[in-house]
Amino acid sequence: MYEWSDEHLMLRQAMRDFIAKEILPIKEDLEHGDTPPYDVLRKLYATFGMDEMARATFEKRIAHEKAVAAGEAVNDDKPSRHGGGDAGYTLIPIIELCRHCPGMVTAMGVSVGLTASAIQAKGTIAQKERWVPQLLTLEKVGAWAITEPNSGSDAFGSMLSTARRDGDEYLLNGNKTFITNGPYADTIVFICKLDEGNDPKDRKVLSFVLDRGMPGLEQSKPLRKMGMHSSPTGELFLTDVRVGRDRLVGETEEVSKGGRDGAKATFQQERSGVAAMSLGIIEQCLDLSIEYAKNRVQFGHPISEFQLIQQKLAMMEVARMNVQNLVFRTIELSKAGKTMTFAEASAMKLYSAQAATAVALEAVQLHGGNGYMAEYQVEQLARDAKVLQIYAGTDEIQTVAIARGLVG
Amino acid sequence: MNVVVCVKQIPDPADPGALDPESKTLKRDGKLILDESDSYGVEMALQLAGDSGEVTLVSMAPNGEVSGLRTALAMGAAKAVLVSDDALKGSDALTTAKVLAKAIERAGSYDLILAATESSDGYTGTVPEQIAEVLGLPSVTFAKAVTIDGTTVKVDRQTEAGYDEVTCPLPALVSVTAGVVEPRYPSFKGIMAAKSKPVDQVTVADLGLDAANVGWAGAGQEIIEVAQAEARQAGEVIEDDGEAFNRVVGFLSDLKII
Ligand SMILES: Cc1cc2nc3c(=O)[nH]c(=O)nc-3n(C[C@H](O)[C@H](O)[C@H](O)COP(=O)(O)OP(=O)(O)OC[C@H]3O[C@@H](n4cnc5c(N)ncnc54)[C@H](O)[C@@H]3O)c2cc1C
Ligand SMILES: Cc1cc2nc3c(=O)[nH]c(=O)nc-3n(C[C@H](O)[C@H](O)[C@H](O)COP(=O)(O)OP(=O)(O)OC[C@H]3O[C@@H](n4cnc5c(N)ncnc54)[C@H](O)[C@@H]3O)c2cc1C
Repeated sequence: MYEWSDEHLMLRQAMRDFIAKEILPIKEDLEHGDTPPYDVLRKLYATFGMDEMARATFEKRIAHEKAVAAGEAVNDDKPSRHGGGDAGYTLIPIIELCRHCPGMVTAMGVSVGLTASAIQAKGTIAQKERWVPQLLTLEKVGAWAITEPNSGSDAFGSMLSTARRDGDEYLLNGNKTFITNGPYADTIVFICKLDEGNDPKDRKVLSFVLDRGMPGLEQSKPLRKMGMHSSPTGELFLTDVRVGRDRLVGETEEVSKGGRDGAKATFQQERSGVAAMSLGIIEQCLDLSIEYAKNRVQFGHPISEFQLIQQKLAMMEVARMNVQNLVFRTIELSKAGKTMTFAEASAMKLYSAQAATAVALEAVQLHGGNGYMAEYQVEQLARDAKVLQIYAGTDEIQTVAIARGLVG
Repeated sequence: MNVVVCVKQIPDPADPGALDPESKTLKRDGKLILDESDSYGVEMALQLAGDSGEVTLVSMAPNGEVSGLRTALAMGAAKAVLVSDDALKGSDALTTAKVLAKAIERAGSYDLILAATESSDGYTGTVPEQIAEVLGLPSVTFAKAVTIDGTTVKVDRQTEAGYDEVTCPLPALVSVTAGVVEPRYPSFKGIMAAKSKPVDQVTVADLGLDAANVGWAGAGQEIIEVAQAEARQAGEVIEDDGEAFNRVVGFLSDLKII
């Protein structure tokens, strides 16, 4: 794939029309008010039949899994996660939304991506049917909680949240922070360690599915933060939350590699999403910068005539081309039924996130004082872009993963 | 209820291109898109056809252009007839109507034909009525609402004062005004399906027309000159001496606005 297909372009145009009509008029409330993004995201899903398609794809996959369980089918040729096997249909909405509200994509991605995938990947068929369809259609808002006040990059090593057996049930305790959708989530995947009185570093990692309103579960108000304002981020406090085995993902404590690989698969998917997000931010920053440079006159000339400004634009274009190629590669790989290695996904995430931040900051610079003012969109995009280097694994953690792939 | 919709594919107004100094017409070598004016006709047709009927698109455009058609197919139309032929270069509105009439006959059985009152680029606003005349059908213009009642169509026809209620027997041709319905977005499923929906691409000869009677050769019009619109005259400045409102009132009543 070297360019978008006609269908991709049609989809992109339809997305742009929708965004202009439904999102831009309320953008101020989404970015600077208390309006959570879920209603307009649901409208997006309904308008384009994304909900219906997600449900149909889910049903096909579940039917397949049931057939495999009954010995009537084999596990290869699993139906694709993406509509029609084309990841472009998943990535184009991400790109277009990120031109305006990357926060909305964060909220959406955590719900339909991370949370649903965590249950989809390791849950039992009954658990998938119970929670996944509503998450995939955005009927329910999902959150995926691993980070804690004292446990971030070292997610498993420093994790303090616990599950303790209590008869046939478990008691869950712990605090989670920086949790996307935390304040509004209906369905929460809570990751913790099984406390059998053993050394914390030997404990198994288990995931539980929680519902909003369960006794002992408290969801904080949104935290104030630098950017991504259209994505509510919060804390979770669990005090003796009592759950049955039906909420233990997979319904077994015998999780492979001590439960760490489930979370790792989730990291990987998250990383490809970041490339598409970066592309949206970069494209928008470049478009706005070209427009501004052609119209802003200083020293009697449009600033686009100054070589130092041209260099900024040229470097933005280089970043755009590179990140677009990474997105194309993601689409091609998924079409071929392949996935990136963990190291490759990390490299893509690292590069894209750095490129988006660099481009957005250069766009601010190119806009001069206006670029620092909230009236100009580059100010928002620069604040939003920065987090791409922090969440879903920091730059440093990606670098470690890439190096591990190279030198073991 | 089967509906045929005439859809014009036009240069993207966001990227309008240029005039060809030689032919004095719009260059149409780039990609063409569905004329927004026709998206209302498509939406109305989809609503009228419902689940039992079928919507067929008819279009005449250069270079086998299908982008605009694919958009309407993605919205839900079932199939399309596209007339594309170098011989059509320079076709005037009447020729266009004759060609589209033939294409409509080729499209199969229909109860109703919809078009826009005028296209966004050429906007002569004459093609639909000429199609009706060629096909010997009744035509109703400026529709803001269309309902089907058995074998007749009821149209609320926009007028300066309000609207007329017009009833006419089917089959008929109705031209709809912009903005009267909310065109749907193509769904993801629709976009995926559009690629495999049939587009019957035909030439002038396929329609049984003679190339000598279409295009520049058959046009009853000639473009003599394309000139800059005259610069606007400077306005009249009135110093307000406390009585200026009388001048404003006089001015507005001269224009018969008040
Ligand atoms: C807006 C936002 C949304 C988020 N959403 C979620 C969510 O939905 N769910 C969730 O579970 N978490 C979420 N997070 C948390 C996020 O994943 C973590 O913030 C991130 O993994 C970094 O962890 P930390 O903040 O504890 O930083 P730390 O791990 O304390 O890192 C501090 C610094 O040290 C560096 N560092 C750490 N270890 C090493 C090392 N070995 N070598 C070199 N440098 C190192 C880091 O790269 C960083 O620069 C979100 C965060 C933000 C900001
Ligand atoms: C100089 C010149 C060169 C031209 N060259 C070409 C050419 O190379 N190839 C070619 O195919 N055509 C060509 N045309 C035809 C032209 O594209 C128009 O279709 C025609 O002139 C109709 O004019 P209008 O846009 O004013 O129609 P209007 O009467 O304003 O249109 C009203 C409605 O009629 C329908 N309609 C009109 N035209 C079409 C159409 N073409 N297809 C489907 N529905 C339609 C639409 O619903 C439209 O909204 C040429 C015309 C001229 C004058």
